[in-house]
Amino acid sequence: MKQYQVSTAEKKFIGSHLLVAILALAVGSLFGPLQAFEHAGWDFYPYLRPLIKSYYQGLTVHGVLNALVWTTFFIMGFLTFNVIFGLKRPLKNPVLNKVGFWMMVVGVVTAAVPILTNQATVLFTFYPPLKANWAFYVGLTLVVVGSWVEGWGLFTTYLAWRKENANERTPFIAFASLITTLLWQICTLGVATEILTMLLPWSLGLIEGVDPQLARTYFWFTGHPLVYFWLLPAYISWYAFLPKQAGNGKMFSDTLARLAFWIFLILSTPLGFHHQYVDPGVPPAWKFIHSMLTFGVFFPSMMTAFTVVASLEHGARKNGGKGALAWIGKLNWSDPSVAAQLLAGILFFFGGIGGLANASYNINLVLHNTAFIPGHFHLTVATGVTLSFMGISYWLLPYLTGKKLWQPKWATIQAWAWFVGMIIFSNSMHVLGLLGAPRRVPLNLAPYVPAEWNSRLIQVGIGGAILFFSGFIYLLVMLKTALNKETVETEVEVPVAESLQDVSLTPEWLDRWAPWIYGTLALIVVVYGPVLFDLIKNISLTSPGFRVW
Amino acid sequence: MSTQKMHIDVYERNWLIFSAILLVLFATAVSVAAFGMGIQVPAPEQRVDPRTVATDPSSPWSNPGLREIAPGKYDAYILAHAIPNWEYLPKELTVPAGSVVTFYVTSSDVQHGFKIQNTNANFMVIPGQVSKLTIHFDKPGTYNYICTEYCGSGHGVMYGAITVTP
Amino acid sequence: MAKKDKEDDEFRPTGTIAVLAIFVVTLIAIWATIYVILVQRGGTL
Repeated sequence: MKQYQVSTAEKKFIGSHLLVAILALAVGSLFGPLQAFEHAGWDFYPYLRPLIKSYYQGLTVHGVLNALVWTTFFIMGFLTFNVIFGLKRPLKNPVLNKVGFWMMVVGVVTAAVPILTNQATVLFTFYPPLKANWAFYVGLTLVVVGSWVEGWGLFTTYLAWRKENANERTPFIAFASLITTLLWQICTLGVATEILTMLLPWSLGLIEGVDPQLARTYFWFTGHPLVYFWLLPAYISWYAFLPKQAGNGKMFSDTLARLAFWIFLILSTPLGFHHQYVDPGVPPAWKFIHSMLTFGVFFPSMMTAFTVVASLEHGARKNGGKGALAWIGKLNWSDPSVAAQLLAGILFFFGGIGGLANASYNINLVLHNTAFIPGHFHLTVATGVTLSFMGISYWLLPYLTGKKLWQPKWATIQAWAWFVGMIIFSNSMHVLGLLGAPRRVPLNLAPYVPAEWNSRLIQVGIGGAILFFSGFIYLLVMLKTALNKETVETEVEVPVAESLQDVSLTPEWLDRWAPWIYGTLALIVVVYGPVLFDLIKNISLTSPGFRVW
Repeated sequence: MSTQKMHIDVYERNWLIFSAILLVLFATAVSVAAFGMGIQVPAPEQRVDPRTVATDPSSPWSNPGLREIAPGKYDAYILAHAIPNWEYLPKELTVPAGSVVTFYVTSSDVQHGFKIQNTNANFMVIPGQVSKLTIHFDKPGTYNYICTEYCGSGHGVMYGAITVTP
Repeated sequence: MAKKDKEDDEFRPTGTIAVLAIFVVTLIAIWATIYVILVQRGGTL
């Protein structure tokens, strides 16, 4: 059976997302290892001074480009593909999607100018009253609004499909992608409010001051679901693509996979206070409630862990896999796309463990803003997500361009190098955090660093060096593939796993939108409403801006 | 619609039940530490005006430092600031072992952090707000307090120290 | 409609349980280690 044909124009459109994403990763990843090298005592920043003024400017570039630009562009491209291919129908209003995409591109360029000229060295959390140049906030707004517009393009496409297919279950990859898009639209209301009501008018000189505690609260309304916006596309790939790629496995439970995505929609947003456990302006009772809800959102990840591993096992057993663990060897490790995603998944398990520790209310007193935190999110967003996206691109780029993947062997080496480098980097960061090392500090220069941290700091640098090598190979493979003269004979098969269970048996209530959306909004109002109401009622715009970098 | 009952594999169902029990256990342990052992996170204390908090004579942070409020019990008013040179005021505190110190920390400019090494004091310092936690210093030694939130180019050198004398 | 293989019906995810058991043991060990650090560092009230 011939697979659904995505039009050349749409392939180009999806591909242009990948292009921006990978360019951002190329620049942003340059600075990651520089931070790690600094920790180890190999400080290159003095030599970069004509271009990059400080460690913190480098850290801002790294955070904004890797955590915000690489992810958002890759995700919007991948979700767009999933909706088109899943629904087997072209975009309803391609112009809408294009407008959104170009808004995002203009936004990135607008924000890049102040960042690169040291006018916005505020890191990717841009906590006021650190005050960046207005163009930084305008740029971020354009990226967010552009992603909304692209999302609306996906929603109208779904509505058109629904009209044409009144009684069908939404195919899983489209279904999960639409939920991810919706989650993003709801949660970004926080950061949009922060920028539009406070930071932008303030940076333009229209208002004198801001309320930093309220700004943080708006920020983390978006900040945690942002994590799920990064993660869910990787989950989509693990649920629906990876089992097929790794050994022709089937998706173990279509029902639970869908239920997991609904729970993510409901629970991702109303738990932002777990980033504010040690903020002075939020009552502990609400912090505790958010911590319990955070435990709740761990639950669909446990569902995901089971379903994904079982789907992989299903394929491996059919290919002769034996034993309690030996079947893992029967997975298709020689495919770089598979190796990358499996390794990403393995490290993500550990990211989940650290995340649960962070989420555990007062345990945050041990971990808050220590090196444990970047250690943790380099296992989640920088491996679980990023290495998976790299793996996805190993089939997606050949699919979109018709070019053969350049040197799959090198792609496999890339994945393993990322895995090894990240283990070394992340393990030492976690340990440093438990010993009390703060994050966001050039530790080589900090006067309070005891000698017992030194061996760990060197490991951070070694891990960074291996990651630098891996990142370089990734860019090389992408570039060489895009320019490859060798083309694929037939269109690359999109590896979508079938469901083990008959999809028409998936309950209908899992395909209805309204009740879940109302539930999501209601829960947000209940667990954010009282605190936000109080903070807004007592708003004190008493903080003028500071440029202290 | 009788065919549309939810089908869940028995292994998977048991896994989910087990996960739920595990999370309940963790939640219980956390609650015991919080409500039984008094290991709590900061609560709203008071609001201040960051523009005048360091200069207004009626503000305790215009004269930061230790106040002994009862034998062995202290209030420590600490001001964090990036301007002019990324430091805490005071930079050093000395208390005898066995002291109970309640920290009141605020900022006169940007956001900072405040983490006393080897204790559970670790919180945000936010302009306009006052962060408060109480720590029991039983073991003699030097406890650095370090800034844990990016506050500009001097963030990495911002710290102070509490000396606990025998 | 997905074709149902006979082996699909008989498939029991025992390996999955093994993988998840390792995960859970690690999870409990790491989480408990940090919890012990928290408790040792003492109260804040």
